[in-house]
Amino acid sequence: MPAAFSGQRLQCLLLLLPLLCTRVSGGSPAESAVTTQDSNQTEVNPVTKMQAGHESSGNSVATERLKPASKQNSQSVSGHEIVLSGASVEKDIPVPSSTKIELTCKLDENSDLKDPQVTWKKGSETISHTSKTQNSWTIELTISDKSHLGSYTCFLKGEKEISAVFHLQVPNLEGRKKPIISYEGDKAVMVCKTEYNPKSWIWYMNVTNGTGRVSIDKVLPTDKFLIKIKSAEVSRLEILKLTKEDGGVYWCEASFDLGTSETRFELRVLSITTPLKPFMAVVIEVAVLVITIALLEVCSKRKGKRGEKEFDQIEKL
Amino acid sequence: MPAAAEAGRAPGPPDGGWGWVVVFGAFLSIGFAYAFPKGLAIFFKEIQNFFGTSYSEVAWISSIMLATTYGAGPISSILVNRYGSRPVVMFGGLLCGVGMISAAFCTSILQLYVCVGFITGLGLALNLQPSVIIIGKYFLKRRPIANGLAMAGSPVMLCTLAPLNQFLFENFGWRGSFLILGAILLHCCVAGALFRPIGARTALVKTLVTEEGKDALKGKITEDGPVEDKPEEEEEKDCFEKINQYLDFSLFKHRGFLIYLIGNVLMFLGFFAPIVFLAPYAKHTGIDEYSAAFLLSILAVVDMVARPATGIIANSRWVRPKIQYFFSFTIAFNGACHLLCPLASSYTGLVVYSSFFGLAFGMVCAMLFETLMDLVGAARFTSAVGLVTIAECCTILLGPPIGGILIDTFGDYKYMFIKCGAVMVLAGTFLFIMNYYNYRMLAKEEKERKRKEEDPKSVRTEDEGKKNWNKDSTQDGPELEPLREEGEGVKKEMNGTAEV
Repeated sequence: MPAAFSGQRLQCLLLLLPLLCTRVSGGSPAESAVTTQDSNQTEVNPVTKMQAGHESSGNSVATERLKPASKQNSQSVSGHEIVLSGASVEKDIPVPSSTKIELTCKLDENSDLKDPQVTWKKGSETISHTSKTQNSWTIELTISDKSHLGSYTCFLKGEKEISAVFHLQVPNLEGRKKPIISYEGDKAVMVCKTEYNPKSWIWYMNVTNGTGRVSIDKVLPTDKFLIKIKSAEVSRLEILKLTKEDGGVYWCEASFDLGTSETRFELRVLSITTPLKPFMAVVIEVAVLVITIALLEVCSKRKGKRGEKEFDQIEKL
Repeated sequence: MPAAAEAGRAPGPPDGGWGWVVVFGAFLSIGFAYAFPKGLAIFFKEIQNFFGTSYSEVAWISSIMLATTYGAGPISSILVNRYGSRPVVMFGGLLCGVGMISAAFCTSILQLYVCVGFITGLGLALNLQPSVIIIGKYFLKRRPIANGLAMAGSPVMLCTLAPLNQFLFENFGWRGSFLILGAILLHCCVAGALFRPIGARTALVKTLVTEEGKDALKGKITEDGPVEDKPEEEEEKDCFEKINQYLDFSLFKHRGFLIYLIGNVLMFLGFFAPIVFLAPYAKHTGIDEYSAAFLLSILAVVDMVARPATGIIANSRWVRPKIQYFFSFTIAFNGACHLLCPLASSYTGLVVYSSFFGLAFGMVCAMLFETLMDLVGAARFTSAVGLVTIAECCTILLGPPIGGILIDTFGDYKYMFIKCGAVMVLAGTFLFIMNYYNYRMLAKEEKERKRKEEDPKSVRTEDEGKKNWNKDSTQDGPELEPLREEGEGVKKEMNGTAEV
């Protein structure tokens, strides 16, 4: 065994592995690498529909995900800025707890738009500027309640109108888009992650008879489900002794100060015979190939020996 | 190259016919050996979640597998020396299959280390070495082409396995995928079945022998020098003789082998790290995830084409005699690519870098075993490859971590590229200089031998009879020495044919 297996060495393999799986799948989102983007997709769609109404210059709408470097406590003020040049821009801003936020719209110096008229709006309600400079306009918001979340837009009106939208929302959860597959008798594990610290986690499953969903805490028997919380940001549901009926949809919900956020998992339980069929097919194919090759060899050897005997006879003559 | 020596008692390698089928088998086998550990990466996130371990603990699976595949090289060599390529590859294929099938039923990560890491890793080691060895037995004139084609198995298999693994994972989960992959790995047994042992042939094949005459003569020039060491050694203790039968430690006295060993061990320090860090570097410069992944795909495709192409170039009559220089050049070229990489900051620049890197990577890989065969000859290659892989094992595994440390310390990828480039240019230069020295020494030794053979030893020529189809005097003297050394080799080959 070679020398030092340092932490970095494994980190390097850590880098290698997800990238190799994204690379040759031709860019299809492999689970290991792209989950953040995946979980954003559902959030963004309703927003882009809204944006279609605002679009003016016909440029593409850029959507950014903003991750503040450090987690904010309710005392600090965090600032978010969008720099506009010619196109409308949107930003998702996760707000895990009550805090004060400053939103700034800045006009790029190279932009054609000069001295625009700027209005900040949330929905139909206009908000007055907190501060203003030559080409940036800021509002300060105190987010302490669910109703304060939403989309805040700054409109810059000149010869044309462009806008920047800040989507203030509860942080997203990272789950699994594709179904989780497990086998009867085995266990299934669902891991729900977020970047911030929620107050609590709840897992839901579908009610067996009827519609709606029930919290897994309340489901009996209690040894079938194990909820482990390794750290504040990760919650792990283990379903033991799987049966076919355990397949279906499960939800993971995290409560933050300002609301809840959830993500969905789908579980498929397969019987052991499902992979056995392709397995046996491949094994039989291999056996057939090996036997064919062996037979061909034996046959050609016999022909060779016969040919040799003839040759030797001719030589003797 | 012992072709002439072999021609003494057995006609030279066929250089075609069934040989191409063997190349296909080697293509499969080598492909699985190199591409399978990389292809497993897709399952690791799920396994990490399932067993609740950290990512680094799961990454150990890959490390153990790689370490076993390279570290078990000598075991592979010993087994091939004893039993021949075919049984070893078939057993290796079975071992891989069993390893993965048992991995499907594992209940802890430790069990995965054993099943996937050790058992499958060992199986792959038993696949890799014999496949390379048997090419040397079947080819001489066209050996570089055969090597290039067989080594092309690695990128092709990787491009096949990755989407296949993704498909299996989405439909069967990781357990089902491991089960089916176990069955797929059994195809190594099919590849092994194709490795018909080749040994002493009958007089029927005399005609082939005359064609190989000239090449054999050329080959003898490189082979003869080191062969002179052997006879003195064999007169030592019987114990050493026995060990040498299985694993030729006398190779450590072989000048060419030592040059190759030192050069390669140095080269591998900077060989794999750039691939590991290419995509992270691309993302670091602001390129999005998919384009970064696409860079690696470009690399793989160029690699796929470069390997057979290099084989063809290396086989041409301008390059073949000085193939060691060509190898040193490709290594230095590879290093130069890395040194220039930090200059490429735009996406186009990185695409160009990836293409050149793919080309250089393919060229080096295609030549890797061919040059070793050229230096030590097909008979001793069996042991040589085992000893080389276990020596390379350490640097291969150290390369990426050292690169990682450089990146973490300086916060910039360029130092890692500079380090890799510098190491490889150094290795290439070292090999170039030392091989120049080696070629000169070999030419000198050849002249010495010619002078010695001025004494009439024509009696021996008549004795050799049908074996000595080429009446050149240079053939006579050294015939006896390789006879002693390769006597065992032929016996083993005969044993090999007797099996079937």
